[in-house]
Amino acid sequence: MSGIDDSLVMASTTINPVKRAAQRYFIEFAISMTAYVATIWVSRSLLYGPMRTASPGWQYVVALLPLVPILLVFGAVVRYMLGVDELIRRIQVDSLALAGGATALMAAAYGLIEGDYAPKLSAWWTFVTFMMAWLIASFFVRRRYQ
Amino acid sequence: MKNRLKVLRAENDWTQAELADRVGVARQTIVALEKGKYSPSLELAFRLSKLFGKPVEQIFDPESVDGKPE
Repeated sequence: MSGIDDSLVMASTTINPVKRAAQRYFIEFAISMTAYVATIWVSRSLLYGPMRTASPGWQYVVALLPLVPILLVFGAVVRYMLGVDELIRRIQVDSLALAGGATALMAAAYGLIEGDYAPKLSAWWTFVTFMMAWLIASFFVRRRYQ
Repeated sequence: MKNRLKVLRAENDWTQAELADRVGVARQTIVALEKGKYSPSLELAFRLSKLFGKPVEQIFDPESVDGKPE
């Protein structure tokens, strides 16, 4: 292997940082989603059970419990983005931008007809739309580089 | 941007995955680079240059840049 920097070749025996970032992301995502399902169950059980008559302040707190694992997912995504290489990050950032734009457009369009011509929808649908748009945008942006 | 990555990789008998591991990127990034679908950052270009022991301009062809941004 003449002409090859030895220190870099030796560095190849360590785990690829992109693979490590992906592995860490999947582990963190799996743990966070398990925690999400658990907190949903706990939250709903409490709200429809012992906390049915609790003060509204406490009910809000318990209703928002599943937000904690959602924040953990957010942290996992940020760590993944910081750990991957420049092309993967570019694909993800482009996809996020496209998904954000598409979601804003759809939310604005729906907002114009909501109530008068279309049924009122839960704000939850904005989140679902954004995640779907991110998935679809990732597929098409990735194809640009294949 | 055109480049000689595929040739240099073959000369060293490395797979795309091996080259990716050596420069710390995803295999997908090596595929995109070899096909000229993606131009690397200066940092990655210099990492490749150091790995192959060749100047950047001997790996990436500056003449193939058409002046249009990606």
